Amino acid sequence: MLELRNLSRHFGGVKAVDQLDLTVRRGEILGLIGPNGSGKSTTVNLITGVYLPTAGDVVFQGQDISKLAPHQRCELGLARTFQNIRLFGHLTVWQNLWAARMVRERGWAGFKERWLSGANAAREQAEELLVFGDLAHKRDMLAGNLAFGEQRRLELIRAAASGAELLLLDEPAAGMNAEEIEDLDNRIRSLRDQGRTILLIEHHMELVMEVCDRVAVLNFGRKIAEGTPAQVQQDAQVRAAYLGTDETAAT
Amino acid sequence: MDLMDFIDLTQSLIDGVLFGTTYSLIGIGFTLIFGVMHKINLSYAAASIGAAYLSLILVSLVPAPIVYLGAALLGGLLGWMVYLICFRYLPLNNPLAALMSTVGMLLAIEELISHMTMGMPQNYPALFASTNIEIGQFFLRGDLIFVFVLGCAAMVGLTLLLKRTRLGLATRAVAQQPVAAQLCGMGVNATNANTFIIAGFLGGTAGAMAGAAIGVLSPLMTLPLTVKGLVVTVIGGLGSIPGAIVAGLIVGGAENLFQFLRGVSERDIYVMLMLFAFLVFRPGGLFAAPGGRD
Amino acid sequence: MDFYLGLAQVIGIHSLLGLSAWCVLHTGQVSLAQGGFFAIGAYTAGVLTSMWGWPLALALAMGALLAAAVAVAVGFPALRVKGLMLVVATTAFAEIVRLVFFNFTWRVQTPAGPVGPDGSLGFGGIRYFPANGWTTLEVCLLIWALVSAVLLVLWWLDRSRVGTLWRAVGEDELAAQSAGINLTAAKVSAFGIGGAIAVLAGGVFAHYATHIEHNNFSILLATFAIAYPIIGGLSSLAGTILEVIFIQGFLLEGLRFIGDWRSLMFGVLIVVVMLVRPAGFLNRSLGLGLGLRRGASADKTGSIAKGGTHA
Repeated sequence: MLELRNLSRHFGGVKAVDQLDLTVRRGEILGLIGPNGSGKSTTVNLITGVYLPTAGDVVFQGQDISKLAPHQRCELGLARTFQNIRLFGHLTVWQNLWAARMVRERGWAGFKERWLSGANAAREQAEELLVFGDLAHKRDMLAGNLAFGEQRRLELIRAAASGAELLLLDEPAAGMNAEEIEDLDNRIRSLRDQGRTILLIEHHMELVMEVCDRVAVLNFGRKIAEGTPAQVQQDAQVRAAYLGTDETAAT
Repeated sequence: MDLMDFIDLTQSLIDGVLFGTTYSLIGIGFTLIFGVMHKINLSYAAASIGAAYLSLILVSLVPAPIVYLGAALLGGLLGWMVYLICFRYLPLNNPLAALMSTVGMLLAIEELISHMTMGMPQNYPALFASTNIEIGQFFLRGDLIFVFVLGCAAMVGLTLLLKRTRLGLATRAVAQQPVAAQLCGMGVNATNANTFIIAGFLGGTAGAMAGAAIGVLSPLMTLPLTVKGLVVTVIGGLGSIPGAIVAGLIVGGAENLFQFLRGVSERDIYVMLMLFAFLVFRPGGLFAAPGGRD
Repeated sequence: MDFYLGLAQVIGIHSLLGLSAWCVLHTGQVSLAQGGFFAIGAYTAGVLTSMWGWPLALALAMGALLAAAVAVAVGFPALRVKGLMLVVATTAFAEIVRLVFFNFTWRVQTPAGPVGPDGSLGFGGIRYFPANGWTTLEVCLLIWALVSAVLLVLWWLDRSRVGTLWRAVGEDELAAQSAGINLTAAKVSAFGIGGAIAVLAGGVFAHYATHIEHNNFSILLATFAIAYPIIGGLSSLAGTILEVIFIQGFLLEGLRFIGDWRSLMFGVLIVVVMLVRPAGFLNRSLGLGLGLRRGASADKTGSIAKGGTHA
């Protein structure tokens, strides 16, 4: 579904992402992990179009999107959440969803749906997501006034609201306690079961190992391992990256 | 274009570049304040001219160089006042409010000047006005050279201040990470106030120089100086002092060039178009501050 | 009576200016370009009615179309930048317009003598109103009819998806982009609509004043234009109107006895208001709202503060 081919992004002398090859298969939950500074967020930014690559391609559903603007990529079915929550703080919960949903209403198809057909499928889907996120009772509250956990849920459903087939979740578990993480685990699975593909960037190892089908590991901008969670956990290079060499690290 | 025209053209250019240091100083002032507060102080140029006006009080008392110094010091004082009134007590996350506040300040200063002087232009002392240095076919006006040298001196002084003193270090630290700077014991408010004072110092100098180069001070100078200063800041790159310096010289030279080619009333059109060209092709400015990661 | 009608006319024209700025400010852009559009409207309408004999309505409509075209042409390159650079870009635009008209001379012969813009002397003889027998009252009503129409349109826009899109862009550009919103389209549309409103204001102003010159269109006018919504509170349309009434009516006219010190008072007033209520008077938190908006209060943060060099 998504292919990163020889993708590189340099900032001056710093190679934030270096010749990265990565494939995300349809319907899977792929985890992307790595120590701090390994280039995970940069990769997400490259995929969503916040950064343009220095070299290499980003191919989504067979189409080369390397040069497209972020909103165009979203139209094609790519959406993301942010590490530091970026909600529209002064819009209500519903308006946040709605703003994202509107991308599905462009063009002739959108026009027909809005004005000509009786039902409003887009609106219904947004309502469903609101319920899914357990935020229906807070739909008219300003997003900025939500509790932290609720804000994270809103980020999640807002990304889904744009009708994206591939969701990029950038450290959605940051700052959560164990109960919230378990809740997040379930939601991610549900979102996938509803037909989406998920790329999860995370630091919380338990979550990654639990929910991901496959895991890729970055270090210094390069991919050093890829495989099932079990395989990656055993990989010597991964252990070296996280725990350091020269130690007699416990297995 | 024959030789005489070419010489005149170059003469214009040289005069313009020399005067351009005035614009450089204003541009530096804007950039300094923007770099530290991430807000625009639209009243800056007005305060600079205001400082020059205030220094008129000294004119009959002391020789010209002291008058300029007075303008600089008064500029610093005015800068501090602007900080107190427009920035100190305003919420940090509401840049619009600070912007409007400075607009109000700009209006107030300009009107005050108009009222105090009944709208009549005031003569401002110029140094070396009757001196001319001849280099081949070119005349270098003494007063413009003096303005240029003064401007350079101010810029050198500023660079030394920022790079070599503790105050300068504090200013740069606060600009980059206000919270962390506070945790390291730097008083953010004091540092910001100092930045405004330094910028005001530069501004007062610029005001004095503008007055010296043109020979008169007039409230009509504030708006054009503001606009040109902003243009310089943008062309040079936000937050970049070397950029502002170079851009000031460019704008000064370009201004005279366009004036020579198309006359006074059309000259600013081309300066603005030049700005647009920069915005389209090099939006980060000449020396863009390095882009960071989100 | 005529005095109050005249005052009402001025308030009306400035209201249009304020509303025009309100549009653009909503997407988080600080634009000083309203003066430029105002000038375009004034000159276009003036030329069309006094030199070509067009009826007023058509002249205004033409001006609005022109504004849209200019907004798109200027907007696409200029609106890619943010913050201070945008302020400067829009200032430059307004100055270019002003200076172009300062140098613009085009006169035609009419039975009443030569008419047309005359460079630095300005453009006099826009005598549509007197020539067609309009009374002061009728002009006043026309102006306020326009204001009401614009208010209605803006209110409707704000409640619709366009309003949500605009505000989303104003809140957080990165998030908006990533949610599929086309930033440039949103910004240019706000800029264009704001420009069209300013053009209407300018067109009417030209006929009201019968003589226009470049001094009418300085940067100061643009700062007034953005002052109204900011001081009135960005969240409510009513705030802008009330602010215009307050400033123009009470302050500038009512304090006539202060004479020439009015502009100074205006400056001081702005400073004081920003200290006391930085979010503007009729912001939601005050609870007044007048029901003209459901939803958010509006401290515009984030995107305006940043300079233009972020990724």
